[in-house]
Amino acid sequence: MAYAAALSEPWSFRPARTVKVHVGLPARNLLMDPAEAARMNALVVAVGRARDRAAFKTLFDHFAPRVKGYLMRLGTANSVAEDLAQEAMLTLWRKAALFDPAKASASTWIFTIARNLRIDAIRRERRPELDPHEPALQPEAERQADETMDWSKAEVRLRAALADLPREQAQIIELSFLSEKPHSIIAIELGLPLGTVKSRIRLAMARLRTALGDTS
Amino acid sequence: MSITHHPGEELLLSYASGATSEAAALLVASHLALCAWCRADVRRAEVAGGTLLAAVLPVSLNERAYQAVLSRLDAPSAAIVRSANLASAIPAPLQAYIGADYDALPWRHVAGGISHLPIRTGGAMRARLIRAEPGSGVFEHTHRGEEWTLVLTGSYSDATGRYAAGDVQTTTPDVSHEPTANPGPVCINLAVTDAPLRFKGFLPNLLARFHGF
Repeated sequence: MAYAAALSEPWSFRPARTVKVHVGLPARNLLMDPAEAARMNALVVAVGRARDRAAFKTLFDHFAPRVKGYLMRLGTANSVAEDLAQEAMLTLWRKAALFDPAKASASTWIFTIARNLRIDAIRRERRPELDPHEPALQPEAERQADETMDWSKAEVRLRAALADLPREQAQIIELSFLSEKPHSIIAIELGLPLGTVKSRIRLAMARLRTALGDTS
Repeated sequence: MSITHHPGEELLLSYASGATSEAAALLVASHLALCAWCRADVRRAEVAGGTLLAAVLPVSLNERAYQAVLSRLDAPSAAIVRSANLASAIPAPLQAYIGADYDALPWRHVAGGISHLPIRTGGAMRARLIRAEPGSGVFEHTHRGEEWTLVLTGSYSDATGRYAAGDVQTTTPDVSHEPTANPGPVCINLAVTDAPLRFKGFLPNLLARFHGF
């Protein structure tokens, strides 16, 4: 495998012993049980509608350790990751009324919460974002089918497509989300030209597009 | 509006993962307000993020974590404010930085029909608005790093093509260009750079240094 070879390359960006090339998440881990995903969505809706504390406890037990794990994979210290994971769950409680399972699954939504909290707390930067609850500044007719489709169904297909990505594409996507490194550094660490990394990203994104039948 | 130049999958993926610095995120978010195509790309990438979040090795929280969060559930929190003025042509994410009216901004004149306005952001990259009267151009320059330009109003052209509202031009260090605003409405761009520009000639460089380009 190319990235294994890169470990021994003398021109690696850092000494080989500190190069952390991911262990790789087994593809089957990416295939969340759709019934389980739907149950999590329903729990967030219950929190939003009825301030349901039992639902919140279940969500906390499921997601808080994953948020903490995600943050620590990105190099966040244990104590900071602990605080941010708690903060993410508090944000879930406060914003649950805005959650719409037709727009995103619970795990995707919570990922965006954790991502933004981390940018805010660790990098002390703002996160410019398009508020999904604000109508976009364009005529309805120009919107794509993606916007009106049921994303809870789309996500099942997207996860299947992700689990099915060629190894070298999956690796770049994974490193994009689970390492705090720009693609130029990822390329150096993998011993690849930046152009190769970019073209793998293009190919992977194209596969996700076609998984939803969007080939335009 | 028909957008023909997009930020590219790599930048969209970096934005979705949270890796872009604030200035680049501002440019991407402003483009997303105008482009359904890229919005869908980012949403698909975020699903990848959610899927990976669900698949990482969970790390236990400390045993009092749930109680600590419970005790804060009823504390009052800041209301969620949506302040964007939808009647304004300025994309909502950008309004949070500059308000809803281009004409009310404290533009700084550079030369000819060109003015600019730095936008304060955190992170290593720099963001600024560039305002060009029709027919006026920015001196020929190359880039020490990458530059992204999002057209907000009007249009401009350089040797590589024509860029109109919503388009994003990506320029790499090897590109030298001399963009010129086309006839029609005033051309306003959001430009994001990761290193200072390099102009051809002594005077333009002096001007550029003075204005912090």
